[in-house]
Amino acid sequence: MIEFDRATVIYPGGLKALKDISLTIEDGEFVVVVGLSGAGKSTMLRVINGLVPLAEGSVKVNGQEVRGAAAGDLRDIRSDIGMIFQTFNLVNRSTVINNVLAGRLSMVPRWRSTIGLWPKADVEVALQSLERVGIVDKAYERASNLSGGQQQRVGIARALAQEPELILADEPVASLDPVTSHMVMRDLQRINRELGITTLINLHFLDLARAYGQRLIGLRDGELVFDGDIADVDEDVFRGIYGRAITPEDLLDAAGT
Amino acid sequence: MSSTVTTQASKSPPRPQAPVGPRLIRWGVTLIILIPFIWGALGLEISPGRIARAPELVWNIVSAMFPPDWSILGRSMDKMLESLYIAWVATIIGAMFSFVFGFLAATNMAPRWIATPIRALLSAIRAFPELVLAIMLIPAFGLGAFTGTLALGLHSIGTLGKLTSEVIEGIDEGPLEAMKSAGGTKLSTIRFGVLPQAMPNILAYWLYRFEINVRASAVLGIIGAGGIGADLFSFLKFRDFPQAGMTLLVVMVTVLLIDGVSGAVRRRIISGEPGKGPVSKLMGLVRTPRPAPQQ
Amino acid sequence: MTGPAEITTFEITPSERPAPPPRSGPFFVVVLLIGLGFGVGGIISGGAGVVWGLTGGVLAATALRWRGQSSHPVDALAVVFASALGLGWSGWALGERGSSVEGTTALLAAVGWLLPGAAIGFVVWRHSRRLRLASVLVSAVGWALAAFFVFLWAEGLGAVESLSRTAVQAGEIVELTGTFYATTGFFIALIGAGVTFALLVGSPALVAVAGSITFTLFAASQIGFSLIKVTSEIDKLNILAQEFWPPEWTWPNLTGQPAENQILEPMVETMQIAVVGATVGCLIALPLAFLASKMTTFNLPTFWGSRFFMNVIRAIPDLFYAMIFVSAVGFGSPFAGALAMIMFSLGIMAKLLSETVDGIEPGPLEASRATGARHSQVVQYSAMPQVLPNYVAYALYIFELNIRASVVIGIVGAGGIGRLLDEQRVFFQWDRVMAIVIVIWVSVILIEAVSVTVRRRLV
Repeated sequence: MIEFDRATVIYPGGLKALKDISLTIEDGEFVVVVGLSGAGKSTMLRVINGLVPLAEGSVKVNGQEVRGAAAGDLRDIRSDIGMIFQTFNLVNRSTVINNVLAGRLSMVPRWRSTIGLWPKADVEVALQSLERVGIVDKAYERASNLSGGQQQRVGIARALAQEPELILADEPVASLDPVTSHMVMRDLQRINRELGITTLINLHFLDLARAYGQRLIGLRDGELVFDGDIADVDEDVFRGIYGRAITPEDLLDAAGT
Repeated sequence: MSSTVTTQASKSPPRPQAPVGPRLIRWGVTLIILIPFIWGALGLEISPGRIARAPELVWNIVSAMFPPDWSILGRSMDKMLESLYIAWVATIIGAMFSFVFGFLAATNMAPRWIATPIRALLSAIRAFPELVLAIMLIPAFGLGAFTGTLALGLHSIGTLGKLTSEVIEGIDEGPLEAMKSAGGTKLSTIRFGVLPQAMPNILAYWLYRFEINVRASAVLGIIGAGGIGADLFSFLKFRDFPQAGMTLLVVMVTVLLIDGVSGAVRRRIISGEPGKGPVSKLMGLVRTPRPAPQQ
Repeated sequence: MTGPAEITTFEITPSERPAPPPRSGPFFVVVLLIGLGFGVGGIISGGAGVVWGLTGGVLAATALRWRGQSSHPVDALAVVFASALGLGWSGWALGERGSSVEGTTALLAAVGWLLPGAAIGFVVWRHSRRLRLASVLVSAVGWALAAFFVFLWAEGLGAVESLSRTAVQAGEIVELTGTFYATTGFFIALIGAGVTFALLVGSPALVAVAGSITFTLFAASQIGFSLIKVTSEIDKLNILAQEFWPPEWTWPNLTGQPAENQILEPMVETMQIAVVGATVGCLIALPLAFLASKMTTFNLPTFWGSRFFMNVIRAIPDLFYAMIFVSAVGFGSPFAGALAMIMFSLGIMAKLLSETVDGIEPGPLEASRATGARHSQVVQYSAMPQVLPNYVAYALYIFELNIRASVVIGIVGAGGIGRLLDEQRVFFQWDRVMAIVIVIWVSVILIEAVSVTVRRRLV
């Protein structure tokens, strides 16, 4: 369970990226966050695992306060949260399996990770994660040799290897073509359903949000402007979030063709 | 939107075997590093006992140096200035000659039958350490700063010549082709096509070489080729540690200062952006920002 | 006029064209011409300040007009008048003393140069309107400062070289000659005009070039390195051939017996020093480099601390390390040499590697930080693989440098072939020195060739 209570983020330089956000996300939900770029979507995800510090208010993950957590506590919180990035953030020169094993860094003793002597059980978790996204055959290849869609699946596998309770996906399909985008979104949906992992996804394509989301959160200039079931969402709601009429650029399948 | 074609990953591909190659390479590299290291360590008779004692011995010397003897500050600064002059003149010599040699050694500027021997000449010069060059010049030119400057200058020609030619070979050939097709002469191609591209990097290398030459000229005095090195050598030899400390301090502060200034200038030259430093602010004070239209 | 000709005349509205930005090329010519003017004036006048100023001023005004920096006769008059007046004063102040120039004299004489500086600044400002009134002030002060330093350095500039140094130091009064006025005038104008026009162009390049020329001449004269000396000494290179050739490959050792491998054995020791120094130095540099990069450091104090440490290590030349360690662990010890090479390698590697770490992609770091990994794990798994090929290439490069550096550290008693070199050098056994140098030279070239090949494959 994630609880935002009047959460506010101010970046150095005075930009208010998040203003007074209060909401609760229950376990197992599949939540899509939409908004224009700069609306605070990425910031909202990053305050959950403490990559961006809160200025005011509080964010609790399973009852544990993130704001002001000690370094060790913060690592504990993070180890239960998998994160997926727009630019995949893989170490290109490392092998796929090493990238996935990075997800288990917080769970192995430091000396073992230092000399690269991974416990069998952890390697097994990593391989299973790769199997779940269907690219275990690439395990020993260099990450840079994979296609964009495959690289993003390695990113998902890295998150899965943490055996997380929560997955944060920051624009996971923004660097992918339409067909691959749908495949990655289906992977995320399946993982949410099969494993019951709470999932938060940032998207800026409205049709993707409507196709895969259950609950939709709309942000505009750092403020919460919509929070509700995807079934209740119509043109007017999107117009409220975007502050303008819908254009083809806001739709994946229109923009992609 | 193509619907429900792929409910994939229900059947996963078979797991591959962990490859052996990378592991072999890792062991190989470890051995390649380790074996020469052990060979070297054995040859130098480095025992654990000596290593254990070394920090204490070094600390003894360093603590004997501080506090330094401030009374010789003036003398040290004079000597350091002499080293600086040597480094500066040597850098200028290196810059002037290497500029020409750099063009002659660049394969996209000079024909192969010129570039190849020039390159060989440059690397032949480079292979002499500065101090060895100075030693070899002493019988002809005697002890003193003149010999040191010549040696440093010669070595600078070797290193700068190589770097210059690499910069020139790395430039974008497109503009040169455009100029040739517009009927430009070789000289105008160099002036308008090569220099604007290569000059910032070449200048930065000159400055970088100056930084290195300051260090090199500081040690030339050891063999009597001018500069502050002679002081430190004799102070340490006669175990006048406070004086040695002062000399060392002057060298360190000078080198740090020059590195700092030169590094900032180099960054500015390479990035090509107007600086944010005090000099640029001063310029902004006295210049009107936008030129007024002329009558 | 027929029809087609009229078609080709476009209507041009002049206001659409922006004023061209000033270029430094033309101004550099002006700077040089003005410098030449005051130089010529100096030779003619031989100390008569007014004549000095008049000739210099005329040439300055001509140069300004020729490059389009002044158009009105009043401008020219102002420059000539100001120069005559100012340099009249300056010449009087210098002439009164008539010996090597001291601080107070230089200051007094420099005041005179405020006038031509201000006049030229004023003319440029009035004509181009690119400067502000304040720049006229800066120009004037720039000229005066240039004058002050040049007068102080005049001896160094070679202007007073004809006088015997000892006579000057003994305080004997010597007349300042025409050469003095010519060279000082030339260099003052070079720097002063450089400052003035650098303001106009908006780039410090002119000051840099003018300053570099001046400083080069000054530095050269300080260390007795003049063109005349080079040309007169160059034929001494013959001596080298006589002394060094042919090399003598073997010589009896101290006990009087002919020794075997007496050059090769120390060369092997040199290589061992280089290997040990490079390996240990590069290993220690690894953590230091990550601490000294903003990407991977812990916090700001660690960052600045390790950066400072890194720069201080680099600030001490390799041979100084060798000398210090020789004093510490004993003369003739290759161990001291290895220690020196460790510090040398550490400084360079830490610098090169931390700059590389500055440029890595931050994304993977964020990704592993988000998994809850510890700092050291983040560095090892996300930063390390990105810089590994560079690290190996740098290590090879440093090994190359170490070979070159470790051949000389023996000169101060730190082991290796340098010691042999020093032994033969102090007894002027140049033919033996030649043999040693050949061995050094061949080894350096061979190792460089191998290292370059490997590095090219790597990156």
